[in-house]
Amino acid sequence: MRLIGVDVGGTFTDIIYCDTDTGAVAVNKVSTTPGDPSQGVMAGLLALCTAEGIAPASISTVLHGTTTATNAVLEGKGARAGMVTNAGFRDVLHIGRHQRVEHYSIRQDLPWQSRPLIARRHRKTVRGRLVPPVGAELEPLDEDGVRTAAAELAAEGVESVAVCFLFSYLDARHEDRAAAILREAMPGAFVTTSSAVSPQFREFERFTTAALAAFVGPVVRRYVERLAVALKGAGLTGELRIMASNGGVATAATVAEKPALTLLSGLAAGVLGGAAIGARAGRRRLITFDIGGTSADIGIVRDGVVTETDARSTAIAGFPLLMPMIDVHTIGAGGGSIAYRDRGGAFRVGPRSAGAVPGPVAYGRGGTEPTVTDANLVLGRLDAGDALAGGLRLDAEAARRAVSAFAASMGLGVEAAAAGILAVIDSNMANAVRSRTVQKGIDPRDFALVAFGGAGPLHGAAVAAMLEIPEVIVPPFPGLTSAMGLLTTDLRYDAVRTQFGTSGDVDLARLTADLDALEAGLAEQFRADRIAAEAVSYERSGDLRYMGQGYELRISLPPGPLGTVEIGMVWSRFHAAHAAEYGHAFPDGAIEIVNVRVAGTGRTPKFVPPAPPSGGSLADATIRTGPCWFTVEGRLAPVPTPFYRRAALPAGVAVAGPAIVLQPDSTTVVPPGAAATVDEAGNLVITLPSPRLRP
Amino acid sequence: MTHAEPVKTRVDPVTAAVIQGALENIAVEMGHKLMRMSYSSIIRESEDFGAALTDATGRQLCECRMSTPLQSGPIPGYVRGILRTLERRGETLHPGDVVMHNDPYGGASHGPDVGFCVPVFRGDRLIGFSVTTAHHLDIGALAPGSCGIVDAVDTYAEGLQFKAIKVFDRGTRNAAVWHMLRDNIRASDLVVGDMEAQIKAAEIGAARYLALVETWGLDTVDAAYEDLLDYSERLMRDAIRALPDGTYRATTHIDGYLDDPDPARRDLPLAVAITVEGDAITVDLTGTAPQLPDKPINMPLEGTVDCAIWLTLRSILLDSADYGPIPQNSGLTRPITIVAPRGTLANPIFPAPVIARFCPGNQLADTVMKALAQVVPHQVSAGIGNLRVVAFSGLQEGRHWVHMEIMEGSYGGRHGRDGLDAVDTLYANTRNNPVEDIESHLPLRVERYELRTDAAAAGEWRGGIGTVREFTFLADGGFSLEGDGHRYAPWGFDGGADGFTASLKLVTAAGEEVALPSKVPYHKARAGDRLVSLGPSGGGYGDPARRDVEAVRDDVRDGLISAGTARDGYPAAMGTDAGSPPIRAGAAPLTSP
Repeated sequence: MRLIGVDVGGTFTDIIYCDTDTGAVAVNKVSTTPGDPSQGVMAGLLALCTAEGIAPASISTVLHGTTTATNAVLEGKGARAGMVTNAGFRDVLHIGRHQRVEHYSIRQDLPWQSRPLIARRHRKTVRGRLVPPVGAELEPLDEDGVRTAAAELAAEGVESVAVCFLFSYLDARHEDRAAAILREAMPGAFVTTSSAVSPQFREFERFTTAALAAFVGPVVRRYVERLAVALKGAGLTGELRIMASNGGVATAATVAEKPALTLLSGLAAGVLGGAAIGARAGRRRLITFDIGGTSADIGIVRDGVVTETDARSTAIAGFPLLMPMIDVHTIGAGGGSIAYRDRGGAFRVGPRSAGAVPGPVAYGRGGTEPTVTDANLVLGRLDAGDALAGGLRLDAEAARRAVSAFAASMGLGVEAAAAGILAVIDSNMANAVRSRTVQKGIDPRDFALVAFGGAGPLHGAAVAAMLEIPEVIVPPFPGLTSAMGLLTTDLRYDAVRTQFGTSGDVDLARLTADLDALEAGLAEQFRADRIAAEAVSYERSGDLRYMGQGYELRISLPPGPLGTVEIGMVWSRFHAAHAAEYGHAFPDGAIEIVNVRVAGTGRTPKFVPPAPPSGGSLADATIRTGPCWFTVEGRLAPVPTPFYRRAALPAGVAVAGPAIVLQPDSTTVVPPGAAATVDEAGNLVITLPSPRLRP
Repeated sequence: MTHAEPVKTRVDPVTAAVIQGALENIAVEMGHKLMRMSYSSIIRESEDFGAALTDATGRQLCECRMSTPLQSGPIPGYVRGILRTLERRGETLHPGDVVMHNDPYGGASHGPDVGFCVPVFRGDRLIGFSVTTAHHLDIGALAPGSCGIVDAVDTYAEGLQFKAIKVFDRGTRNAAVWHMLRDNIRASDLVVGDMEAQIKAAEIGAARYLALVETWGLDTVDAAYEDLLDYSERLMRDAIRALPDGTYRATTHIDGYLDDPDPARRDLPLAVAITVEGDAITVDLTGTAPQLPDKPINMPLEGTVDCAIWLTLRSILLDSADYGPIPQNSGLTRPITIVAPRGTLANPIFPAPVIARFCPGNQLADTVMKALAQVVPHQVSAGIGNLRVVAFSGLQEGRHWVHMEIMEGSYGGRHGRDGLDAVDTLYANTRNNPVEDIESHLPLRVERYELRTDAAAAGEWRGGIGTVREFTFLADGGFSLEGDGHRYAPWGFDGGADGFTASLKLVTAAGEEVALPSKVPYHKARAGDRLVSLGPSGGGYGDPARRDVEAVRDDVRDGLISAGTARDGYPAAMGTDAGSPPIRAGAAPLTSP
């Protein structure tokens, strides 16, 4: 089977091809075309096919990671959206949780007030009310009111509508009926309901998720349709699948209907790519560490399973998002992060970034403030003579001048300032990893760090040392790991329903029936996607908390009917998970089930990385030896350091640090005391000395 | 303002940055775990809690950015109060101790905000404290709930008083204390569960702080935070130095007890005189009303008045929208001196009651802003709408249920932008409770929660808009309220109109309407009774004649103000023929403010 993965990033569009039968692999990297990303996708894809002599019609599946939805939100360029909601609750989206973003600010803005997803004039209210605990109808839906709202919205030029009623997660009938009326009255409009997008309690978060879906819906639908037409036109008649935020892919038709699935898809592919690399290296506990120009994205893989966020920890551009998501922790730390002296005289690095434009000073594109990349260059860890991806050459003198000016303002020497920039940014990254490990009861010393993205391999070993992580894995194509991740995905759909129940008083029959119904709904979806039933598997879970708490923990549920034995096991798992996560359990506390979930996976053929070239010697791989600055035994000093070409490194031969390994899409630093070996899968595996290097 | 020369520091700037990041990470973890483990919605949803580390003398090293300012801010005072109390009693601290404290005359903010303090020892040397504070639903006062205890006659009537009580002594649980807590507090399952969560979160902070000290050495960590204190102080002094020397005065009024026959309990002035002299500020509260000896709206100087002043000054002078995050530590307060005559509302004498000091404290913060508005008009908002706190309660099968709801206010207009609508203001920053959570767990129905109509103060930049909220009791129960701002509207600034007052009424099941003042002691309610609250709207900023015509029309299109109100408030913009402006298809992008 022939697969193509296409990942659209802010600067580059990465394309990777593989034939799962022969193991053949080819890659391509082209500039992203921000106006219409499908142009860059098509150009890169067809160029790769031509260069490799691949017939477009022989491609069975194109797997695509897109930031269309994300960018529409970040840039505020979504559809003119409307809303139909309960009388008395017109401003749920505007009031939010009545909390300010900043404690200590008079002049702050609240994104949901200053940049509303749906303007108040387009938020229409109608009578009708359901009430808990089961969604009984207190007041019938005012259908004429919905028709009036539809007429007004149509007249106002609204092209998409979110229907958001209180307690719709208990019973969707009012939302469904209103949506039907709206669809009839507004043909061509994108109409969605909060219960279809995410049937979970907490109205601000659910309504906002539905509003996000309405905001991006028409934009995503147009993009997917345009790309599908372009692919067909170019003879790519295989299936188009789109990466979703939950770490699976969805068919183009599903995404057109549920665009909110893709709101954070760009980040998910990287974690999956890192997880696949780790699995190939035989590691089941991984920290994925994806660093680009602006951000560091961190994911956790436990026992081979990618960690998901809990329902209350996800947001995009300040808007909460109640969707199943891979847990990716993003901080503003990357190669473009700017070092500066703040108004109080303190040493700061990031989160402000020079980005791709103007980029670091060394890029010579107008950047004037020193960045992390410039610091790496000053310390000799990047090779100015070696062109970066896209043919860019680095200006070492300019970088040194910029770092030097900053160093003077801090009263430091130029190399000390450069090493300080790296120490601060690495420590910020290590803190970010701690927040996802140590703070959740996970010991990072049991994990391997998978370092990728353009800048991940530059920082991976230093960050691992701070956390006493013993091993860093650098994939064969660090800069293409996200695209490769696309080729390791399965079709995946999630279903969730809020269903309160308390230990000692749970309606097990109803709970089982709910789970069965969720599973049946997913089975229907897989049938529509023409996935054979035997390739589909389901996992059940629940969101549980102690009665009275406000945050839930995800606990796996056994398949099949829930009896007293099974539910007893679930309670024990919850106590244990609570103790692991927070360091404390309340063994006598009553437990409340809040949501039940089913995740369905439809397995598809995967990418198999090729074996690395065998033979060769370190001598063949050596480019030169030059001075690099490292801190050894507390002293920062230049150390003679060999530079190797990654493609020529022989497998199974240890490279002693210090060493720098160069390849077109990234540079790997092997610090003094560490050693690196290319493994059978072509990964560069760095082992770190213990105890740790710093302080 | 900027220093050309490198700043003199004790440790190198890189180490300082790394240690600062680690300290903040610890405080965030403490808060994260506390809010996720806790039971009552006032902590987990409203986020009315604090988490911080201090040094061995109580100077704050870092605070959790999720916590609310009025909880983290007082933590140094808690520690100092504990240390003073222990010294007076001749007690000492040991590893394994956990100290409970809520003494409002000993640094605590007020009785319901109970602090749990874990001393951090390295060997047998005390090196700091890890502290969590949180607002508890009930603290054993005269009526259910820990807000709206507006008729407590002295601190003894406010509930249990804990003055440096060791709930764990060298690792051993002090069982008698825990029995007393369970026996004297309503809804004690929730409250005691929350207290245990506080202790666990504080212990985590203590362990992390010790690990940090082991990694870097105590001398380096000590020196790094001395540098951090200097750093915060330097920023504050630089900002003060940029202000012209002089004295700037303002007075606002709180309602007091509007239905009280005694005029001495109504219409009480809060007076502020800010004197800027070089790089220091003195805030003098002389002229503020005398204390009320038997009504609990007196404000403890330490824990309420000082926090209100510090937090307002930093929010204006070091606005984080402009400065980015600045470590909240004791260095920020070094340049500020507070003068508060004893026996006034702002410095009451024990045992004058203080439990309902929340609203006057925030009004004091607003008064500080009003005084500073004369010097830095572009950095302030017009008058804020103050918050109100309501407690709902009842008995179900012989057990109490208690629910607290903090009802938001709004900001006044600001230079270049309208006021924030429907938010917590100044020294509070809590969250509301989801309607779907309230109705799923309590015998209450929320009938309405949206912005008020025709209650936006006119100005070049209009005031933020308050909310209307309606709650119906589904079972017999009761409620109490502590609020303010029912008589005094938020001040307009520089030609902007004054804002709108708040109000509260009870509509009984029989349809009778009862207007209520801003302070309501425990009041019985029957099933079917409905409580209707209008929240305050902040003042307008600048001459309404200068408001952008399209902004006025947008507010009309959005149904925030009627066409008639627009004509009255903005005659210049609307003219006489404005009518009801049509919504134009294809008009300005939806995302414009």
